[in-house]
Amino acid sequence: MLTYLAKRILYVLPVAFGVSLFCFLLVHIAPGDPLTSVLPPDASQAMQDELRRIYGFDRPLPVQFGLWLMKALQGDLGTSIATGRPVAAEVWRAVGNTLLIAILATIIGFLLGSFFGFVAGYFRGSWLDKMASIVAVLGVSVPHYWLGMVMVIVFSVQLGWLPPGGAGPGGSAAWKWDWEHVSYMILPAITMSVIPMGIVARTVRALVADILNQEFVPALRAKGLMDFGVFKHVVKNAAPTALAVMGLQLGYLLGGSILIETVFSWPGTGFLLGNAIFQRDLPLLQGTILVLAMFFVTLNVLVDIVQGLLDPRVRRR
Amino acid sequence: MAQEAQLPTTPDRGGAGTPLLQAKTLTKHFPLGGGAVVRAVDGVDFAVLKGETLGVVGESGCGKSTTARVVMQLIPQDKGEMLFDGEIVGGRSLTLKEYRRQAQMVFQDSYASLNPRLTIEDSVAFGPTVHGVSKPAAILKARELLTKVGLDPARFAARYPHELSGGQRQRVNIARALALGPRLVILDEAVSALDKSVEAQVLNLLADLREEFGLTYIFISHDLNVVRFISDRVMVMYLGEVVEIGPVDELYDDPRHPYTRALLSAMPSMDPDNRTMEAPLAGDPPNPINPPDGCRFHPRCPHAQTVCAKVKPVLARTGEGAREAACHMEVAGSGHSRAPKLEEAA
Amino acid sequence: MSAITSETTPAIVVPPLAKSPGYWAGVWRRFKYDKVAVAAGIVVLLIILMAVFADYIAPADPTRSSMLRRLRPIGTPGYPLGADELGRDMLSRLIHGARLSLFMGVVPVFVAFFLGSIIGVSAGFFGGKFNTITMRTVDVFYAFPSVLLAIALSGALGAGITNSLISLTIVFIPPIARIAESVTTQVRSMDYVEAARASGAGSGTIIRVHVLGNVLGPIFVYATSLISVSMILASGLSFLGLGTKPPTPEWGLMLNTLRTAIYVQPWVAALPGVAIFITSISFNLLSDGLRSAMDVKG
Repeated sequence: MLTYLAKRILYVLPVAFGVSLFCFLLVHIAPGDPLTSVLPPDASQAMQDELRRIYGFDRPLPVQFGLWLMKALQGDLGTSIATGRPVAAEVWRAVGNTLLIAILATIIGFLLGSFFGFVAGYFRGSWLDKMASIVAVLGVSVPHYWLGMVMVIVFSVQLGWLPPGGAGPGGSAAWKWDWEHVSYMILPAITMSVIPMGIVARTVRALVADILNQEFVPALRAKGLMDFGVFKHVVKNAAPTALAVMGLQLGYLLGGSILIETVFSWPGTGFLLGNAIFQRDLPLLQGTILVLAMFFVTLNVLVDIVQGLLDPRVRRR
Repeated sequence: MAQEAQLPTTPDRGGAGTPLLQAKTLTKHFPLGGGAVVRAVDGVDFAVLKGETLGVVGESGCGKSTTARVVMQLIPQDKGEMLFDGEIVGGRSLTLKEYRRQAQMVFQDSYASLNPRLTIEDSVAFGPTVHGVSKPAAILKARELLTKVGLDPARFAARYPHELSGGQRQRVNIARALALGPRLVILDEAVSALDKSVEAQVLNLLADLREEFGLTYIFISHDLNVVRFISDRVMVMYLGEVVEIGPVDELYDDPRHPYTRALLSAMPSMDPDNRTMEAPLAGDPPNPINPPDGCRFHPRCPHAQTVCAKVKPVLARTGEGAREAACHMEVAGSGHSRAPKLEEAA
Repeated sequence: MSAITSETTPAIVVPPLAKSPGYWAGVWRRFKYDKVAVAAGIVVLLIILMAVFADYIAPADPTRSSMLRRLRPIGTPGYPLGADELGRDMLSRLIHGARLSLFMGVVPVFVAFFLGSIIGVSAGFFGGKFNTITMRTVDVFYAFPSVLLAIALSGALGAGITNSLISLTIVFIPPIARIAESVTTQVRSMDYVEAARASGAGSGTIIRVHVLGNVLGPIFVYATSLISVSMILASGLSFLGLGTKPPTPEWGLMLNTLRTAIYVQPWVAALPGVAIFITSISFNLLSDGLRSAMDVKG
């Protein structure tokens, strides 16, 4: 187990390094000078040089990368060009908000997806299976930002049950765990849950069908185990993989929430990215993407490790 | 039939009776990481005479297939060299590409060795086109060869591998190997996956083709009966080394190496009088990762003595005729109590 | 080459043989009986035709606005699917929008199929250090969720159709290269590749004759399954304002500009999404059908 752990971590280090290099280079593949957005159009050459020096853009690239990486490792992601505030602070606040709905969405998606997948796999070939399969295809095919709009149309505009967007009456700063605030989370979370639902349903269906096909299941039935026994057995065998898929999906949602957050004006990382893009605030863009990608990479490793703990066969790969 | 663009036949340089292929201390190790090394082939010496069939036997993991792949140069050897009709393989006068025209191979898995997206005739014609034969000429040649291996081209040439039976596919593979007009054909468990009745037909076909085309075979198999049927000489391998080599009847009737005896005693025999009294193989199955010091067979050998664990026996002439075995019991003065006495040998 | 003694004497006549139905004939036979896949294929074909002949099909000019007829409901005379926030005919805009939406969804996948196959097949075929370095680099891009990667690249490169196409192509190369690498590694270890090498064929010939024919199918099936994702992502970029610019009709951009109209004409505002949805489902079902017809596992 220890060697497996060490292997996983050794494997992920170069990937993490590559990810940070990519994030660093993002600023440099951008056309134009990253400074232009903060400079007045009539800035003097001296002023330009001064700012260039302050932001470190005058050094050679590898040196810039080294310095940037050292700072990033210490939690310093630079300063937002647009607001002048530290990027790290902005990102962490937004990450909290995104995590809130991403976790909620993953839980909803996992429960619904497992349910549909289980029913489909258990009654394979029946109309229930076909229904569940259709739901799964719809789930992976739907443009989720559009689904968000439809949710708003139905539940906010037409029915008036839930607020159409925002982070609560007092904005994200005044967050409280009461209905008035939680109601703002419901639509974005449900919308977001559709993404993992389809994939979880497909996975669970395949897993359940596979387990039921194995020889020992008829043997269990023959031994007189009631259907509940079989059910328990299936759950026990399908759970590790299903949980792994769920973990990975949470990672996707953290990074993929940007469109949904835009629809619902939810003040998470997606919203932050949107602002960074439109104000061409490249340090903010860079920092947000770095944090999200690292979250994703770390989550992947954690999922692998947990899977290795649950299932010794995984370790030998 | 005068045809354009045929492959030239290669003249016999050394003359009959000389070795077609000589392997000298062929060695192939596979590093496993962490310092462990699989000694798949470890200093193997042998020669294949022109027109003969050399059988190669041994348990799985003994290195027969790796030897085949090295001889075919599908994997490069780490050490050692090969001479083909007196010329160094891969040297200046015999390039690898030219060698590969003269040596061909038939694999065990008849399905995996045919490209599923090519028709039978395209598969057979592929080799010649690589060597510059025009496509139509290669196709005609392919159909001719399919007839030779007993497949009617009108019925089979334009079909795909999955439409054929295992035996038919293996005939296609034989035709494919012959398409380049090789002198040496390596048959790596080529009949092992076939049903017994089909196996016999294919073996007879192989024997006929050897006559017709003057071929030389290296016949690798774990099936001792089949090897006895088709081979002129037999080479026994154990953990990447040759332990015994000799003419088939002498070797089967009077095995010199304890491993050969054990192997043969495990062989199902129809004749109750013909059973050897050797104990069947015991002990750990062979592991080429950490082969034991001295004689590699000594942990499983009923006659093992101190010398066997310390000194590695070399392949040496023994008995009558062209027989060789690597066993201390065969070498005078080796230090084994059952070795012939020195003055006897002198 | 010394092995040739080719003289162009009378051309060799190869008597033709009745060919067995090949692999693709079998695929087509299986596909034909898959009703869902055939239906999806027809829908995809119709959408493509709609995009190609948009000029002839669309009842009105998709960019002609009318301040007097803004945000009309579905069924308004002369505006069968209503009018948008600038009084333009929704039906015509949806028909014309198919052009860019399809283009931006399909082209990145095809370019990525081409480039990803080159990367993956060569990594898989040549193996060794080359494989390790290539695939580790691919893993770095794989470490980003696709939406995030697309937005990061588009965001850094700036808005515009070309930049969106570049970003989406980069997003799809890593997954395709991964699949290509794993299929090629499998094929490379097959005996027929060994046999071809034993015939003296060089790497180029082996890849052309023996590898590509066996790996491109599975890679292609996988690539088609990405078209639906690509459609959604491409429209998503436009929805964020990173794709095309107004007034060009494009489904994602239409959703964006109509967002504020959900309080006035909610169902008109939702229409472009329906178009994206239908196209995306059709591509998904078509790809599923193709996968089972080609008997590709996974």
